[in-house]
Amino acid sequence: MAFKQCVLLVVVATLVALGVNVVSPNGIDLIGKYRSLSGGEGPIVPPTAEEGDPPFVSVDEAYLEFTQAAAVFIDARDEEEFFCGTIPGSINIPFEYLPDGDLSVYFEEVLPGVGRNVPMIIFCSGEECDLSLHLARNMQELGYTRTLIFFGGSREWEANGLEIERRSECEE
Amino acid sequence: MRRIIDNDLLTLASRLFVGGALIYASYYKIIEPATFAKSIWYYHMVPGYLINLMALILPWLEMLCGLALILGIWYRGAVLWSNALLLIFIVALASTIARGLSIDCGCFKAGKSATAPAWDALWFDVVAIVFALQMWFSRSRKWMLSSSRSN
Repeated sequence: MAFKQCVLLVVVATLVALGVNVVSPNGIDLIGKYRSLSGGEGPIVPPTAEEGDPPFVSVDEAYLEFTQAAAVFIDARDEEEFFCGTIPGSINIPFEYLPDGDLSVYFEEVLPGVGRNVPMIIFCSGEECDLSLHLARNMQELGYTRTLIFFGGSREWEANGLEIERRSECEE
Repeated sequence: MRRIIDNDLLTLASRLFVGGALIYASYYKIIEPATFAKSIWYYHMVPGYLINLMALILPWLEMLCGLALILGIWYRGAVLWSNALLLIFIVALASTIARGLSIDCGCFKAGKSATAPAWDALWFDVVAIVFALQMWFSRSRKWMLSSSRSN
């Protein structure tokens, strides 16, 4: 009896779940595009990280956000490096060229219509670069509540065979 | 001992506690399946092609089991699933703690802060499974919509 009821519960749950998923605005694909790039390794965290810094994400987590188009990717390097190769669809906010004055206004200009609770994945070239860390700290201070740091950066992204967007020819 | 396990009030309390917890836990997962799918993926325990299906079906199974426990319909099946679900959650949480993964457990609210301690959820599930086991062994069928002994 218990086994029969177990099967019935699963059948009803499956039918309801699939039915609701069809009509729900938050419905998802039945088969997701998940892949493990790091083999379950955690994110790269620099030794300069401090308590209270925005969370660090692994290449897996960054890629998942990328496939779900749920987050805004921000490249913290200068324009030249950004054009040489970046994560597709990224926005360039060079940390070293942040303007003086009210950064809040500046971020609203470069991120038009992007709410402060939208996930932001900030990166630069890789482990030798800490521009992402500094930019993320600034954004967190300004109230961007879901700021995340992908410290592996464009190098770890490319090393895992993921697409890089190149807008100009550059020497390595 | 037998009298305690079969106690009508204790069984009712277990049904309300475990059933209520399952319904509460399922609510946010049903509303935000994409976020719950991400939580499952963080565990690195389920093949990628199964993650979304699991994220869709599991919360409804929790919801139905919770309702069945509280109302006393398909009771034995719901109790069995409750024990199985809680055991799966306990194994998954213990595994993430053992592997040192810092993840959002996705237990009660999909997408909650990544710092939500897995330990708290683990202890809650351990307490809940004690009540779920009590329901399995209890012969009480009082205050159920379907009260036959085989239910």
